[in-house]
Amino acid sequence: MSKAKAQQPAVIHKVIMVGSGGVGKSALTLQFMYDEFIEDYEPTKADSYRKKVVLDGEEVQIDILDTAGQEDYAAIRDNYFRSGEGFLCVFSIKEQESFQATQDFREQILRVKNDENIPFLLVGNMADLAEQRQVSEDEALKRAQEWKVHYVETSAKTRANVDKVFYDLMREIRSRKMEASRQSNGKQNKNRTSKKIKCVIL
Amino acid sequence: MSKQHLQQTLFLPNDERLITMIPVSKMPRKTNLKKRSSLLCSVLNTMESPVKVYIYHVKKSDRGDGHKKKMAWLLRDLRTVDGKSAEKPTAEFDLLFEKVYKWMASSVEDKETFISSLWRLSHRFLIQKPDFINIPERLLEDIKDPHMLREKSQSVDDISIEGEDYQALSAKEESDLELLMSECQVAISNAEVFTEQLSKQLSVLDGANIHSIMGSEDQVLNLMRLLDDGIREAEQIESKLDSYDNILASVKEQMEVMRDKDTLLTVRNQNHQRLLEELENLQKKLDLDLKYMQALMDGDLTTSQGIKECTEAAQALYQCMNADIHPSLCRLGAVEEQQKYFKKLLASFSKRLIHHLNNLFIHHVCAHLYIHKKKFFLIEHCIKKLYTREISDFMESAKQKLVTAKDSKGKLGASTLPRLTGSSTSLTKIEARGRSGSSHSVDSSGLKYGSELDIAMRSVFDQVLEKVLSELERVCIAEQDFCFKFFHLIDKNQPSEENCQKEPGPHGEAASEAESEVWVAKQTYSTADSEYITENLGEGLLQKRAASIYARFNLKTSFVLIREMMAKLFPLLEDELDNFLTHADRQDGMYSMYMLVRMSQHVINNQDMGSYLGKTFGNCLIKVKRNFDKYIETMMQAVKETKVSKKTRCGIISFVHNFEDFTNLAEAIFRGSDRHADLDKAYTKLVGVVFEQVVRVANEHQKTPKEVVLMENFHRLYSTLSHLKNACLENDRKDAKQRYTENLKAYTVNLLGRPLEKLHIFFEGVEARISAGVKPEEVGYQLAFSKQELRKVIKEYPGKEVKKNLEHLNKKVEKQLCEEENLIQVVWHEMQDVFINQYKYYDDLMCRCYPDSNITLDFTIDDVLQYFSDIAQAH
Repeated sequence: MSKAKAQQPAVIHKVIMVGSGGVGKSALTLQFMYDEFIEDYEPTKADSYRKKVVLDGEEVQIDILDTAGQEDYAAIRDNYFRSGEGFLCVFSIKEQESFQATQDFREQILRVKNDENIPFLLVGNMADLAEQRQVSEDEALKRAQEWKVHYVETSAKTRANVDKVFYDLMREIRSRKMEASRQSNGKQNKNRTSKKIKCVIL
Repeated sequence: MSKQHLQQTLFLPNDERLITMIPVSKMPRKTNLKKRSSLLCSVLNTMESPVKVYIYHVKKSDRGDGHKKKMAWLLRDLRTVDGKSAEKPTAEFDLLFEKVYKWMASSVEDKETFISSLWRLSHRFLIQKPDFINIPERLLEDIKDPHMLREKSQSVDDISIEGEDYQALSAKEESDLELLMSECQVAISNAEVFTEQLSKQLSVLDGANIHSIMGSEDQVLNLMRLLDDGIREAEQIESKLDSYDNILASVKEQMEVMRDKDTLLTVRNQNHQRLLEELENLQKKLDLDLKYMQALMDGDLTTSQGIKECTEAAQALYQCMNADIHPSLCRLGAVEEQQKYFKKLLASFSKRLIHHLNNLFIHHVCAHLYIHKKKFFLIEHCIKKLYTREISDFMESAKQKLVTAKDSKGKLGASTLPRLTGSSTSLTKIEARGRSGSSHSVDSSGLKYGSELDIAMRSVFDQVLEKVLSELERVCIAEQDFCFKFFHLIDKNQPSEENCQKEPGPHGEAASEAESEVWVAKQTYSTADSEYITENLGEGLLQKRAASIYARFNLKTSFVLIREMMAKLFPLLEDELDNFLTHADRQDGMYSMYMLVRMSQHVINNQDMGSYLGKTFGNCLIKVKRNFDKYIETMMQAVKETKVSKKTRCGIISFVHNFEDFTNLAEAIFRGSDRHADLDKAYTKLVGVVFEQVVRVANEHQKTPKEVVLMENFHRLYSTLSHLKNACLENDRKDAKQRYTENLKAYTVNLLGRPLEKLHIFFEGVEARISAGVKPEEVGYQLAFSKQELRKVIKEYPGKEVKKNLEHLNKKVEKQLCEEENLIQVVWHEMQDVFINQYKYYDDLMCRCYPDSNITLDFTIDDVLQYFSDIAQAH
């Protein structure tokens, strides 16, 4: 029998789900992973998921870190923010507070990643409950424009836009990576000419 | 023609008075064709004033005695009266009005009378008198005087009256008067006597008159009586007429009724006629010849003559039954009866036919098999050998194909398979074509996938397997069909069998064609043929074929026969197939899954037929199922025997990986198959074993902590099971999750003793005391847990040290956890959480146990968070 060779795709995109508690981060994740929707709410601490997907014809692997919404100390998140390559910043359109909280998450991510252009999507979940809406689309769009990110409304229940947010984020991550490798190639070339100081640091 | 009469009839109505009349004739009479009496009359019209004098030419009318006025002139218009000659007496004279009219009087006297009358009249009534010429003087003179006298005497008297009085004295009266006068000559002298005499006479006459009147009374009475009689008679006649009338009226009514009846009668007659026609027609249509009935009832079906008769009869019956009859006619009792009779006839005939055919069939099959046992065995022997060799070749090539997965199989297959067909059913070229085509596809598919790797290999296997099975199926079914046809086991081919009964072998078909003049035989034969062809079109149609055969083939016995025959023809088929399957199984247990799915599919396809093939496949399926079970068993055994390298970190155990791959593959293979239940059972068993073995490996592993092994592997298993979404495995899924979270907690808690180990031990002691019943405030008074001790312990963990420890811990976690499962972040997150909680807990304990001592840890919560941030930044 000829397996045991971990046939993992070369490319892994690491996505972090952030947002206040109860906005549906886990629901979005589970819907994306297993096509299922779980009504019962059970606060997540942290969980990791992995799935092979085909992104624009290329097989890649997506690692999703589903994180806790309720935490006393924001600093705890630093570590996994650090590991993330892209972020889905989720709030619930029927909860103004969760929308406000996205500001803090955004700031922390920028601080930890120290990168203004980190792949990032503002996600307004629970779009199926539009009659209880507290956060208007304009409001959210305005904030997204401020941050220069995209805003998407999803419903983990109806699976509306669920794939879209993950795939969009992966595309952003991919293009970032290609850009980075181009830059580093350029740098390498430069380094080659001007001795390899960077290599020493690495 | 008297003057009176003429006056009465012709002139009186016009109030005219005839003065003179003379018979005349028109002068220029050249031809005396007909002597027509015509009169010339002078007439005085008294109605008009002044009095007018007309001259009429009156002619006797053509018919009867009447006269009519032919021409009329006024005397006034008369210019000249020519007497022709004054000396010579002549009857001729001319009257000149607007023109000259020549007349010839009947006599000279008449002429003279007429002329003199005209003379007088003209003198009397005309101012301008006509000229009278050539007339003797005496006529004019003569008349002139008296006329003048009279005119003078009567002077003013009414001329017309005078004329009338004069007129009243007719010649007869005159004569009578004269007679009277003469009789009494005295009268002249003695008026009185005369008057007396006259009155005497008058009274005598009166008396006579009265007498005669009296005398005539009887006659009057008689007359009256007669009249009464006449009236009575008339009344009688009238009443008779009335009665006749009545009679006639009733007769009229009766006549009308009779007329109506007559029309009704005609209509009825017509209807009768039509009905008769219709009935005749119907009868013609529904009439079945007695001869036919005879044939249908007990025609001899064993001789060809009898069959021919029966066929004709059946056709006639068919025509009768399907005759074009008006639907309303079908309700006729007779028609219904006839149709019922036909049906009965049909039923009895068909029953008889079926019975006969059955008999024939059984008889002939037995006889045939018996008679040609030798030949059959000969054929059987040849074919058997051929098949045996070919099937082994075929199987061998398939096996080779599996081994090398590359080269020769295709070629072999291509060369052997057509031969396989050629031997048995050389009569069907279509089949051969299909065959070679399919083997070619095996060839190409083989070449295509030949050099591919693992997974490709499996799909190749799947294809090869499918080809092998469908080829076998087709060959077998073709052979079976051939047998059916060849040995005429299908009852519908009975008639053709009769002929080929004595000439076995390849002549069968030709013979049956020769027999084709028998209508039934030909038809069924052609249908059988066409079905035979469609059957060869592909695997997809097999079921249909099978069903159709089954439907029209009731005799189970023939199946048994065929099965036996097939078993003889393919003695090694089952063995070979078995060999092949075993061989494949030996190659890779994984193949058993493909085999299970494919085989069960083919068994289902063939089960309807109850054929040899179906049976064989069924047997194989059982074996395959056993193989599959064995495969699962082996897999479980492999899991149990898995040894893990002790030097490296554990990570995900290989059989967990394998299980995931297995599920993916199995799902792909079993998708849509009805064998999924088998797979589910296998799953349950496998999962149980895998869970069990994960625990075993975790316990055995030295390098990696048990919790890590369990946590990571159960996390993976949970993910795998979530993907499967199999209801049977729901409990296992929950179990996996449970175990994963449990071990995550256990791991973090265990590990966390490390960074603040001594503090941890110290506070554990404190906690133990408290739980042993010591009051929190009093713990500090115990020696081992005095404030001093606490301070000593705390001093060992300054902030710097803690941070270093945490960093160390972080590295350790990274080292122990495998990259693959990506749980580092999760674990570290948990770790941070727990650490902060611990800190809070220690803090809390210190507050409770050492109040007012002002002892705190060397680092604050904020410090801890800072450490975490720093650690995060370091990555």
